[in-house]
Amino acid sequence: MTEHFAQPPLIALQGIGKRYQLAGQALSILDDVCLSITRGDSCGILGASGSGKSTLLNILGLLDLPNSGQYQFAGHDIFSATPDELAAIRNQQIGFVFQSFNLLPRLSALDNVALPLSYRGVSRHESVAQALRMLDQVGLAERAHHHPADLSGGQRQRVAIARALVGNPSVILADEPTGNLDSNTAQDIMDLLLTLNREQQVTLIIVTHDAQIAERLQRKILVRNGVVSEAGGL
Amino acid sequence: MSLRVEQSLSQLLHEAFVSLRTLGKRSVLALLGIVIGSSSVVALINIGHNAAVDAAMIFKDMGTDTLIAQFPAKRSGNLSMRAHLDLDAVRSAVPGIAHIGALSLFSGPIVFHGRTANANLVGTTPAIHEAMRLELREGRFLSPFDANETYAVIGDQVAQALGAPGDPLRLGDRVRIHDYLFLIVGILHNQPRAMLMPVQANESLFIPAEGMRRIYANPQIGNVIIRAAPGQDMERIARQAAVALQRQLTDHSVDITVPQQMIDGMTRQSRTFAYLLLALGAISLVGGGVGVMNVMLMNVSQRRREIGIRMALGARQRDIRNLFLLEAVTLTAVGALCGAVLGITAAWLYAWLSGWVFSLAAAALPLGVGSTLLVGLFFGIYPAVSASRLQPVEALRDE
Ligand SMILES: Nc1ncnc2c1ncn2[C@@H]1O[C@H](COP(=O)(O)OP(=O)(O)OP(=O)(O)O)[C@@H](O)[C@H]1O
Ligand SMILES: [Mg+2]
Repeated sequence: MTEHFAQPPLIALQGIGKRYQLAGQALSILDDVCLSITRGDSCGILGASGSGKSTLLNILGLLDLPNSGQYQFAGHDIFSATPDELAAIRNQQIGFVFQSFNLLPRLSALDNVALPLSYRGVSRHESVAQALRMLDQVGLAERAHHHPADLSGGQRQRVAIARALVGNPSVILADEPTGNLDSNTAQDIMDLLLTLNREQQVTLIIVTHDAQIAERLQRKILVRNGVVSEAGGL
Repeated sequence: MSLRVEQSLSQLLHEAFVSLRTLGKRSVLALLGIVIGSSSVVALINIGHNAAVDAAMIFKDMGTDTLIAQFPAKRSGNLSMRAHLDLDAVRSAVPGIAHIGALSLFSGPIVFHGRTANANLVGTTPAIHEAMRLELREGRFLSPFDANETYAVIGDQVAQALGAPGDPLRLGDRVRIHDYLFLIVGILHNQPRAMLMPVQANESLFIPAEGMRRIYANPQIGNVIIRAAPGQDMERIARQAAVALQRQLTDHSVDITVPQQMIDGMTRQSRTFAYLLLALGAISLVGGGVGVMNVMLMNVSQRRREIGIRMALGARQRDIRNLFLLEAVTLTAVGALCGAVLGITAAWLYAWLSGWVFSLAAAALPLGVGSTLLVGLFFGIYPAVSASRLQPVEALRDE
């Protein structure tokens, strides 16, 4: 607990609600979510299909705005931030890893990794150099000029992780990052993510169905019908 | 939050280039309209320019103060024209005439020291000197006192042709036409071609009109050339001179060419053509612009997921907008460049067919390419803005 006073939480949710308007009916997806995540945490988000895990992660990643509640990200009030400020936070503090990799098919692996830096005004020369370093770190330096279509699933996800990391973010949000991979490759990807968490203090938030993966993370957040609870606790 | 700088230009261009390469065949169709539009604009500016250059050349050659009268026969048949007209009567009837002279044309061989050259033999009244702006290199022009002499003034080119190295044609030499020897009293300077004149001075030998009968049994006046005093109303002089000349003629009518009218006619014609091209250019530019908009809208809807990914990676609305705007403009720029090449070729072809000298108008390329790029920008704005307004989570959900 003393740690919490010394360091304000990176992510603080208070009474977050998310509703969709479907066929004139209000559909409540998330209800009164309270959650606090500190820098360096590794959390798993677990729950049945359709329970609202991805919705929660999108809200955490500032891709979606909740309908009610309070959300502070690294001290910024999300509700009063402009779209440009939200984009800047995503660019500088958040790295996304998706189940379907979401690489841009027309860009080479290198250009994919360099992309977040270009939105910071880093020159092409400089961003390419940094991207190359990042690809080297995930063990894909020699595939830098391949296009995503020419890479295996595991390699694509490594490129995506390099892209999430290149901006030096404080948190990585991953939505079922190993969902499209075989179990061996999944292990490698999890090893990579956990090493980053351990060595570089990158906060990890991972949506997963896989109990084995969840076991390797410090915190387990359960989503059930839009209600969030924490299993076990620290 | 730390300061953000704009995306660097090299990065932007790199991305536009990559996506343009993949836009593919669909964009070729959209480009067709753009190419036609921009080429019409480039061609029209150039053709207008060349028409003006050509008109200016006619001005320079003979000036707009000159009138040329012809005498077409009123009825068909072999009605011969008179060999003499009372030009002084015309001059006194019409105020504002500075010089008036008549020409009788005939062509034939001239022999000098055994060398022969073909030339226009021009029976001339003395005032032709001033009326046709002839400039003498040596000697003098024919005077009223030479009417019954066998004197001649020779054009530069004929003189060259009759002369030989070491034996040039000189003043005081005699040239033979049929059985008559004519004494050269004047040699003309090389004269620029005068497009509307009935005869080119360089290729002519001028002899007194009265002497024409010596070499040709039935000389006829072909043209009367009038040069007005400065600042006269050319249309009025043409009208009054026609009336005065008509009084002396029974079987022929008088037809006077006013150079300004011809130049006006020419510019009117090329202006009509230019307006047609302008309309064609504008319509196809708009058509091309709609084509570009269509391609870009499809492009945006096919790349919704990419837009979502870019937003997740930190692209701001304006980054997305610039991305698609730049693609639209790059697309039109390719069309504009093809159009510029095509337009200049078309203008060159038109100039060639009209027998004009081709010169590139300075404004053609900037205006043609610039207006095309503006069209691309205008029609690119809507798709680009609609792309930038997407919500990240909605764009990402798209398959
Ligand atoms: N745009 C939307 N409009 C209406 N309902 C939506 C929308 N997006 C999500 N939902 C609903 O919200 C609920 C939660 O969706 P979400 O994607 O968060 O589930 P999930 O827990 O990630 O499921 P899965 O494990 O299958 O990925 C679902 O019932 C879904 O139908
Ligand atoms: Mg999900």
